[in-house]
Amino acid sequence: MSAPNCLRCLVRPTAGIPISAPLAAPIALAHAHARAAPFSTTAANARPRKETEKKTGSKDHSRGGKKLQLGKFKKDHIASKGRSPLPGERKAYRKRITLSNDNAIPVPWLTDLGPEALASAENTARVLALPEEVQDQLRAGEAFKPTQCWGMFRKPAVLVRKETVDLANRMQDAADKKQMLRLVVTGDKVAGKSMMLLQAMAHAHLNNWIVIHLPEAQELTTACTEYAPIPGTDPVQYMQPVYVLKLIQAIKRANEKVLAKTYTAQAHPELPQNIPPNTPLLKLANVAKEADGAWPVFQALWSELTAHNAARPPILFSLDGLAHAMKPSDYRSPAFDLIHSHDLALLKLFTDALGGAVKFPAGGAVLAATSRSNAPRVPSMELALAQREAEERVRQKVEGAEVPQKDPFFRGYDERVEAVLRSVQVLRVGGVDKLEARALMEYWAASGMLRATVDERAVTEKWTLAGSGVLGEMERATLLTMRV
Amino acid sequence: MVAIFGVNFNEQKLVKKALESFYALGPQTSARILAKYYIHPRAKVGTLAPKTVTALTAELSTMTIESDARRALQDNIKRLRDMGTYRGRRHAMGLPVRGQRTRNQIETAKKLNRVERRG
Repeated sequence: MSAPNCLRCLVRPTAGIPISAPLAAPIALAHAHARAAPFSTTAANARPRKETEKKTGSKDHSRGGKKLQLGKFKKDHIASKGRSPLPGERKAYRKRITLSNDNAIPVPWLTDLGPEALASAENTARVLALPEEVQDQLRAGEAFKPTQCWGMFRKPAVLVRKETVDLANRMQDAADKKQMLRLVVTGDKVAGKSMMLLQAMAHAHLNNWIVIHLPEAQELTTACTEYAPIPGTDPVQYMQPVYVLKLIQAIKRANEKVLAKTYTAQAHPELPQNIPPNTPLLKLANVAKEADGAWPVFQALWSELTAHNAARPPILFSLDGLAHAMKPSDYRSPAFDLIHSHDLALLKLFTDALGGAVKFPAGGAVLAATSRSNAPRVPSMELALAQREAEERVRQKVEGAEVPQKDPFFRGYDERVEAVLRSVQVLRVGGVDKLEARALMEYWAASGMLRATVDERAVTEKWTLAGSGVLGEMERATLLTMRV
Repeated sequence: MVAIFGVNFNEQKLVKKALESFYALGPQTSARILAKYYIHPRAKVGTLAPKTVTALTAELSTMTIESDARRALQDNIKRLRDMGTYRGRRHAMGLPVRGQRTRNQIETAKKLNRVERRG
């Protein structure tokens, strides 16, 4: 991976400074040599040992030759390596997100995304930059991932693909008709599924939607955040107060402007702070200060966002790593049974929305992306997605299209998952075509990250190396190999 | 520092590990206690609400752990000895109980097998 600072400074000289081999030289000559050079780059150890030194060595009682050294590798022998990292420091370093690289060349022809940019087909196969404001919003919503190559370029930019335009258009259509787009983005490893979500979020932010993003479903289901039962629910549902507080703060930071212009429709007497009707939702979100009271605030916020008797902007609700949200979680109930992910209240909101049980007043989209690198096996989800895709092919009368059926001898299917995914749309993200690959490589070359002529041959080579244009593989083949 | 069942624990310590530090409380029991009080397995002692800490202490005080568990063990050995069984006698003599040879390698038995066994 190429570093943000200049690599040439770090390159070590391959041919070292020539060291004359003084040990074999006559002593007198060596002495003369040492005296003649007041300044020398030769290491002190390379100096020839004097006869006297050898003699003093033989005078004391230590035996010459090879000695047994005990405890050579013990801990105290190793010099202290300085300050050890503070708790959480290493993780913060691992998860840091760098969005710009001052050493990259600014690309003069790079234009910022406009509100309609992602939905217009003429932008296909163009690289467009994310405006500053959207960058901040996406960062607040944790849309960027540390594995993506943002830190190599002057400013974050995205490639507009055919799928992007398709998705943005579907979102826009749904919002225009005040309907909900319920869609699952799926595809091969490193094909750009999370990036598709990011583009959808950017589109939503640019068009003043409210964006709620759950960056990793596994944070909710692998039993690493606090949980508590919600009183008065049957079957029992569980809230995750610490996560919800974090989420409310992320929503607040990402959607500050829109929330300030959206007003509450009803009073919320259950909250600690008095929220009369016609208060900005931003103020409602600000009520959540501690994890203890976060869930009621989130519920109030959700009921306001989905209130049908008031003016509401469209909403984008998205989640990455869907498989984790479609299986029993690692949490346990007091009876020591595993709690199903859909019994966790926050994920229940999402799955209800994805399944079509909740309607947003001004329409919007519920998007989920699957993951291929960190995903437990969920046979029901895999089957349901395959079925939805096949049904689409059957609808388009593709020859030989056949809807896969359940294996009658397999018991691992989950009805709740099937119910959620019964009527979703599926967007498969595959490799890019050569035109898009070329646009991307030209952008890389213009940023100085690709030192090669971008011609037909180079594009075809990388495109083929990347398994017919799988974007992550193209990055690996082109950017992440160090050929300076 | 948070006191659970009279023992002070560092706030950074995992609740699961803190529970398992008590004699006769293992992974199975600790997992069940955690589930009973809605504590996730990676929770640290410092994040527990005071109410939960008192509830944990109350829960632990109803269980046979620490000195109670040790006493139960000693009672079992004593019962064997009082009945005059072979196992009881071997415990009293500090020798292997289950038919091992005693010519050598009985240090563990000498250390552990007593009527007043440590635990």
